[in-house]
Amino acid sequence: MNMIKKIIIAALVLTIATSVLSAQQQELTKEQWQQQVTELTAKRNDLKNTYNGLQKEVADLKNKDAEKSAALKQCQDDFAALQGQQEAPFKALSGNIDAKLNELSRLSNQDLYARRAELDSIQTWINAERQNPLSSIKSNEEKLNELQARLDALKKSLEQVIASGQAVQTYKVGTWAKDRDCLWNIAKKPKIYDNAFLWPKIWEGNRDQIKNPDIIHKGQILKIPQKADLTKTEKTALRRYWAKKNSAATAPAAKP
Amino acid sequence: MKKSVGLILIGCGLLAGSLTGCSNKPSDEEMKQLNDLKAEVTSLEKSISDAEVQKAALLRSIAEKDAQLTQCAQDKDALQARLKSMH
Repeated sequence: MNMIKKIIIAALVLTIATSVLSAQQQELTKEQWQQQVTELTAKRNDLKNTYNGLQKEVADLKNKDAEKSAALKQCQDDFAALQGQQEAPFKALSGNIDAKLNELSRLSNQDLYARRAELDSIQTWINAERQNPLSSIKSNEEKLNELQARLDALKKSLEQVIASGQAVQTYKVGTWAKDRDCLWNIAKKPKIYDNAFLWPKIWEGNRDQIKNPDIIHKGQILKIPQKADLTKTEKTALRRYWAKKNSAATAPAAKP
Repeated sequence: MKKSVGLILIGCGLLAGSLTGCSNKPSDEEMKQLNDLKAEVTSLEKSISDAEVQKAALLRSIAEKDAQLTQCAQDKDALQARLKSMH
């Protein structure tokens, strides 16, 4: 009898446990499930439509992008062909300017000062290049602007060199026998003043090492002041020099 | 006595059946169907998001090419005009 009771109790416990577990696993009611399925199905269908539409849009855009790429390439090819008509001389000249600027930018202050006239030549080249039709092309215009900026920088350096007094040109005296170096002849040299009558400038500029302008020595480094008319002091020095010369009647007047 | 035990066991069986299988709940198969549907929706949402990103990138690319084309056409016109003025 007890055995039967135990079996019945066990069966009841098992039944209730199964039911509870089953109820825990499936929280939805059939109606809720149906509602969710309906909603999700509708949503899925909407999303599918949206996705299909997007895929079509993406495909169209890909085609459009490819067409634009082709059109751009065509335009660039046409442009390059037009450029080719005149590009070589433009590139050659801008290359020359580039090289000249490189060369000048490596010079010492004194050398730059000595070659300052070349900066004006470069400016003339750049101005001429700006008249070239190809200068309207963006890349060429940028190149010219870059060259102009570098030239401006060099001009500014030169101005600073002149302002700081570092721009004084120098000349190393050679021998009379070989170079015929005297102040007169040095001033006459095209690279110095190209004017022999400006020799007192060299004398006045080198008073610390030239007492008598008739006597200069081999190896002396003379400062060459900037070319200009003689100053009042230089003219006075010149008059005194000739007066002294004339008073020395015994020897013939030598060139200074 | 044995008969009554049998009846009780049958009763338990019916009770369990009514609490589980015969209740107003979706079956496992139906739940699987629901979960599959949810997964499909999630997957579609991700695909749409990816496609939106791709679309935006293409629109950007096209806009950039349009700008380049405009610039190229302007350069070309300017160059042609200058070349004409030279000859």
